[in-house]
Amino acid sequence: MAAPLVELRDLHKDFSGVQVLKGISLVLNQGEIHGLLGENGAGKSTLIKILTGVYAASSGEVLLDGKAVVIHGPIGAHRLGLGAVYQDAELVGSYTVAENIVLGNEPSHGWLDRRAILREASAILDQIGVTIDPTRRASSLTAAEMQMVTLATLFHRRYRLIILDEPTARLSAPETRLLFGLMARFREQGIAIVYISHRLNEIRELCDRATILRDGSVSGTLARDEINEEIVTRLMVNRSAAELDVSNPGFAQADRVVLELRDLSTPRLRPLSLQVRAGEVLGITGPLGAGMEQIERSLGGLGAYSGTILVDGTAQAIASPAHARRAGIALIPEDRRKQALFPNLSLAENVALPALGDLAIGGLVGPGSVLRYAHSVVDRLSIFPNAPERAMRFFSGGNQQKAVIGKWLKRDARVYVFVEPTSGVDVGAIRQIYELILELARAGAAIIVISSSVKELLALSETIAVVHHGAISALLPRDACTRDSLLALTISATAPAAVA
Amino acid sequence: MTTTTTPVASSPGRSTTQATRGGALGVLRRWGTIIVILLVGVLFGVLSPYFATVSNFNNILFSMIVSAMVSMGLTYVVAAGSFDLSVGVIVTTASIVTALLIPHTGWPLAIVGGLIIACVIGLVNGLLVTYARLSGIVSTLGMMFVLGGINQYLTNGYQIPVDYGEVAFRFIGQGRVGPVGFPVFLLAAVFISGHVLSTRSKVGHYIGAVGDNPMAAYYSGILVYRWVVVSFVLSALFAGIGGVILTSISSSAQPVGGEGYLLEAFAAVFLGATILGKGKPHLLGTLLGVFFLYMVSSGMNMVGISFATRQLFNGLVLILAVGANALLNREEIHLKFI
Repeated sequence: MAAPLVELRDLHKDFSGVQVLKGISLVLNQGEIHGLLGENGAGKSTLIKILTGVYAASSGEVLLDGKAVVIHGPIGAHRLGLGAVYQDAELVGSYTVAENIVLGNEPSHGWLDRRAILREASAILDQIGVTIDPTRRASSLTAAEMQMVTLATLFHRRYRLIILDEPTARLSAPETRLLFGLMARFREQGIAIVYISHRLNEIRELCDRATILRDGSVSGTLARDEINEEIVTRLMVNRSAAELDVSNPGFAQADRVVLELRDLSTPRLRPLSLQVRAGEVLGITGPLGAGMEQIERSLGGLGAYSGTILVDGTAQAIASPAHARRAGIALIPEDRRKQALFPNLSLAENVALPALGDLAIGGLVGPGSVLRYAHSVVDRLSIFPNAPERAMRFFSGGNQQKAVIGKWLKRDARVYVFVEPTSGVDVGAIRQIYELILELARAGAAIIVISSSVKELLALSETIAVVHHGAISALLPRDACTRDSLLALTISATAPAAVA
Repeated sequence: MTTTTTPVASSPGRSTTQATRGGALGVLRRWGTIIVILLVGVLFGVLSPYFATVSNFNNILFSMIVSAMVSMGLTYVVAAGSFDLSVGVIVTTASIVTALLIPHTGWPLAIVGGLIIACVIGLVNGLLVTYARLSGIVSTLGMMFVLGGINQYLTNGYQIPVDYGEVAFRFIGQGRVGPVGFPVFLLAAVFISGHVLSTRSKVGHYIGAVGDNPMAAYYSGILVYRWVVVSFVLSALFAGIGGVILTSISSSAQPVGGEGYLLEAFAAVFLGATILGKGKPHLLGTLLGVFFLYMVSSGMNMVGISFATRQLFNGLVLILAVGANALLNREEIHLKFI
């Protein structure tokens, strides 16, 4: 029925030898909403970044209207009519909603016509049924409102293909309805939409077709009436890939609770109570925006919460990262480069930083003692290359992750919170990181692993919690889960059951 | 498989968070700096009978011309999110080039030459911070030293006089229209065009967007580098105009001395950003900022307060105004120390 708009032919992408995309071929039709599914690391984000000009493909072709095109950076993609809305909407905070909606496409030449800007932006807002005052400053918007405004900006850019990456993660139900209405309108105009989501019911409701990625290749494209949980799960799970034969034999010490949360809640998290025992690894998963990040933010002292956090039976008020550290909680964030490492300092300086107090003699730290300490950490973590004086930014993702863990080795934290511990980590290092985490458990720490990878949780956890809509919808021992059942739990948005 | 539409437990704060802040605080934020300026003005008026007079007002305006030009130009660069430390020296360079050219080309072309040189310097600054990926502070600091050296070469360390016969050229800085000095009209004209440029044209709109959130600007298809370069060229051009006027006022070009405008300009821009509670640099604020600095200087002079006290006062006012503004506009986490 519809003509193909964008065609991908045998796209390959590798990052320093690691194949991330292994030949993706895909056709996106005009006026089609095309779902894109896949586990973390299946290649979804790499594929999007190629389409939006952030990365260049190692080989393969992108065809637009049947003609091969080369996408020169985000501006090139913009010019070709390929646009994306990222999870973190980007707006100019000090400008009004109206100015943001038409930014870069003002309705006049040279001079600014504020009345025309307001008129045009209001028309767009009306058209899509969003009731936000166009004269408000963007900095005063909530996250969900920002997302709606970002979507409104798309109207102006005459995009032909729009990629929406987990757009409903931060939206409430009525806002989600609004978004779906907006997408229907885009579809009527012949715009193709790539819709990425972990929520299967959304995909089934919206998408004309859905493509499932698995380990960098297309494992299947389904028509709307073929989309069901069983088939999607089968296509997503990669049975052929060598299972990482790491598993948690169970180090939990039955009656030694290290971390206890009592009615922990935030505006986006319903009161949550749980216990993590010494040596226990608790895996937490769920769709993006379900509230997992609230747990991590509360424990790391990054956001306000109510309720009580107890470490070794003592209540702790965790108002800042420094409090968290004193309470014995180590947070290993997902965005290591930005949040946990100093890219221009050496490996030795990075790992020794939290231990400087112990290394100092009379307030002075000798370079020799830092190096000696770093060597002991590097040996223990098998960081490669074994070059403590090398700047951190020259290490690979996996080795950076090991360095972050290394920062905490001497601090003897009681609680470790890992967020997506293997995202951006090359395959070879994943196993080593798993073993490090399990070793921490064996030594008696309480560990929380927050991950969107089912595989990862099954390898690491002793107990697994699934979070939906700001509440735990399932809490089960690892042995009670299979890969399929866990995946089904995460992609189907069942009503949150009252689980202790 | 029911489609549950459980809203996230959060809807509070979703509707109208951050509505308008408490009234008194809002007024203080918007008008605080202006109130302080007025109060200080009234205070000097009470202390000295010569302060609140038309002729003194005229004097203040006249004395602040060059500084105002430099400050207004710098406003564009700070609005674009960068720094320009070379503005002061550009005044000197443009002044020297103009004075050197007058005997050879006549004054109109000499002015054009001075301004073109200024724009070229701004262009180089802009290209360095964008395509060459240097930081604004480093590249313009380097430019400041380079120009300092060039100024010495061009002048051999001596002043370049402008011939007494250049009546028309001298009128630019020394002429009067009625009771008002001609350069005050120039200042008004430059301010009005600059203000229109920054509030009514895409130039100012895009420069502001780039300075606020370069990533958002980039994804909106705005050519970010172009507008950063434009801001540096505007900054240098305004400094160049200041240089031309300075040459005319003193009928000569000095080999050094422009550096002094740099610190005044930064003080004025940051003080100006607090005016009307905008929290970001804008031309009107900058102009009022310069006016405040020169008004205080004039008032203290009349009251007989020493130069040392004046400096101390200016510094304290800057810190207090910017600090109070930062307090009124609390961000969640503050981790920027530039």
